[in-house]
Amino acid sequence: MDDYLVGVLSNIGIVSFIALSAWLLLLTGEISFGQQAFFAIGAYAAGIATALWGWPLGAALGWSAAIAGGAAVLVGVPTLRLHGLYFAIATLGFAEMVRLLFEQFHYRVMIDGELVGPNGSDGFRGIRYIFENDVGSLQFLALIYLLLAAALAGFMLLERSRLGVAFRMIGEDDTLAALNGLAVARLKILAAGLAGALAGLGGGLYAHLTTYVEPRVFDVMLGVHSLAYGLIGGLGTALGPLLGVVIDIGLLESVRAFAGYRMIVFGGLVAVLLIVRPRGLLDEALVHRIGRLFVRAPPAGP
Amino acid sequence: MTALRLAGALAAAAACLSAGAFAQVGAQAPQAQVKMRAKADVACRPTSTALHYDCTIRLTNARTGEPLGGVTLTVGADMPSMPMMHSVRPVAAPPEPESGSYRARLALEMHGDWALQLNLSGPLRDRVVAIVRFEPGRAESRPGG
Amino acid sequence: MFEVSDIVATYGKIEALKGVSLKVESGKITCLLGPNGAGKTTLMMTIAGILQPRRGAIRLDGMDLAGLSPARIVSRGVALVPENRLVFPQMSVRENLLAGAYQRRDRAGIDSDIDRMYARFPRLKERREQMAGTLSGGEQQMLAVARALMSRPRLLLMDEPSLGLAPLIVAEIFEIIAELNRDGTTIFLVEQNAHMALKVAHQFFLMEQGRITFSGTPGQLAEDEVIQRAYLGSRRAAG
Repeated sequence: MDDYLVGVLSNIGIVSFIALSAWLLLLTGEISFGQQAFFAIGAYAAGIATALWGWPLGAALGWSAAIAGGAAVLVGVPTLRLHGLYFAIATLGFAEMVRLLFEQFHYRVMIDGELVGPNGSDGFRGIRYIFENDVGSLQFLALIYLLLAAALAGFMLLERSRLGVAFRMIGEDDTLAALNGLAVARLKILAAGLAGALAGLGGGLYAHLTTYVEPRVFDVMLGVHSLAYGLIGGLGTALGPLLGVVIDIGLLESVRAFAGYRMIVFGGLVAVLLIVRPRGLLDEALVHRIGRLFVRAPPAGP
Repeated sequence: MTALRLAGALAAAAACLSAGAFAQVGAQAPQAQVKMRAKADVACRPTSTALHYDCTIRLTNARTGEPLGGVTLTVGADMPSMPMMHSVRPVAAPPEPESGSYRARLALEMHGDWALQLNLSGPLRDRVVAIVRFEPGRAESRPGG
Repeated sequence: MFEVSDIVATYGKIEALKGVSLKVESGKITCLLGPNGAGKTTLMMTIAGILQPRRGAIRLDGMDLAGLSPARIVSRGVALVPENRLVFPQMSVRENLLAGAYQRRDRAGIDSDIDRMYARFPRLKERREQMAGTLSGGEQQMLAVARALMSRPRLLLMDEPSLGLAPLIVAEIFEIIAELNRDGTTIFLVEQNAHMALKVAHQFFLMEQGRITFSGTPGQLAEDEVIQRAYLGSRRAAG
């Protein structure tokens, strides 16, 4: 496969994690502009684990998901008391705070004759696990999509589960959800933790794909995009945010028809879609209709 | 609580999958062998075409400082402030007469800071990232990049 | 027996409930009347645990409900059909019914209760796969009642079930309320439509500016001159 294609597909896979992360919170009715913070925490955590501590990649990725999920729970406890705009702004503030902290974060270790590790705003180079262990770019691509498939399978299970229904109920009307007996606060924090873990896993993969991260990577641009993917793609299914990613990176970016003006095209697309289809392309109504097609299919009788 | 149990199951499934993926990856990795690592100096200068830059890349063996000749080099680019959103299709960087020297011509989408991804293959497979600020009429590498 | 004693609830510095006490007899329909802004919805939301009372007690069959979370209160057997936010619009009718049974684990019991709801509300059965947001106002009210019943409440709270509905539908809703009560459900109802309420309720309370200012039977209510003028008005005189 062409290197460029492998690169684009890898990017699509990795961005999908943070898009799914933002989407999960959208599902519970909260708009977060801050999922890039957990992506950053995951990226740094996984990079430090392999490059500085010599951990294997699998353990580092598990660790990146765990620490980002844990951070999301800690942040969720105070911020999820806020609603709507206030929550959105709190997440944005938190994410910027995390980014600025990483600009001050120095943790350098002499490894093999060279200082390695996060060096403030100069970034964190040399996360070279896949080169030191001869993981081919195709193999890494397969790893990304394997984990993405696992995450999607998790979402499919979630959709059918009591928990998934609970998230949807909270997203539609959290007061009414509480009146139906849902422990809304606890469920929201659980959603925030799962979303943080997903973003952290994506970050861990990202750090190892590029071998290099710096605080600027995790600014609000990334958060806004990941949020926009869910809004474009639709709230009806976990495939929605993936559709959003494919439209943006797969189509607009890779086709290069718009060159540097792509962001303007993308912004316009988001605005138009929010007016025409406020709950995205794959919204609940469409997913419901598609679901009924399968249920209603005539049985193969004698 | 079913909710928590299910979340636990999901987390466990994700952990198993990532561990499995690692096992597959790790199986082929000869451990404890210190690999050669590349170091790069990048100098870019503008061309007569706007947003096109000529870059000279000097690769050295990070440990010995010797020039690194004979590798196949491609150069891609990504904007750190818009990660994964503006990736430039990697171009081949053929070797120059001077050993360890390579030259690539980059066509960027906009000015600003770019993370050049130097992908080495052939005798040495590696990736080195260099941060370069491209402005109209000039380009400047960030120290340490 | 459901009992509220001396409940005080505030919105910031404004006292919405200034010491409300009332009793709801088991197996009866009790109706709370009152003008807009009297605090009726605040009282309902406080009983359901969405708002926390500043002080006072809320007791259902001896269990204290004050200060519990809404989820706990549902598990104690109280269900509220709130005003204006009736259904989950992006979920199907069937999913809405399942939502009402969120705390239950008895699959078979839930399924048979859904069938009972479909039998009682045939229109919900016809529309069971339809998104709840596409139902008419009356159908949404019926779905909201059915959904609340899915938790098998000992006490059903209803906040203005007739709000915004056409007179024919209102009559239908009240028929359902009476029917539910005949089947043994204790109902505590907020209503502005005193005429309809008089036909079904066994006991009345009147709330004004955060206080209970009258309590009595339908007969006493109809005889009270002040209430007659304010709530039953000329229509009663004409009828």
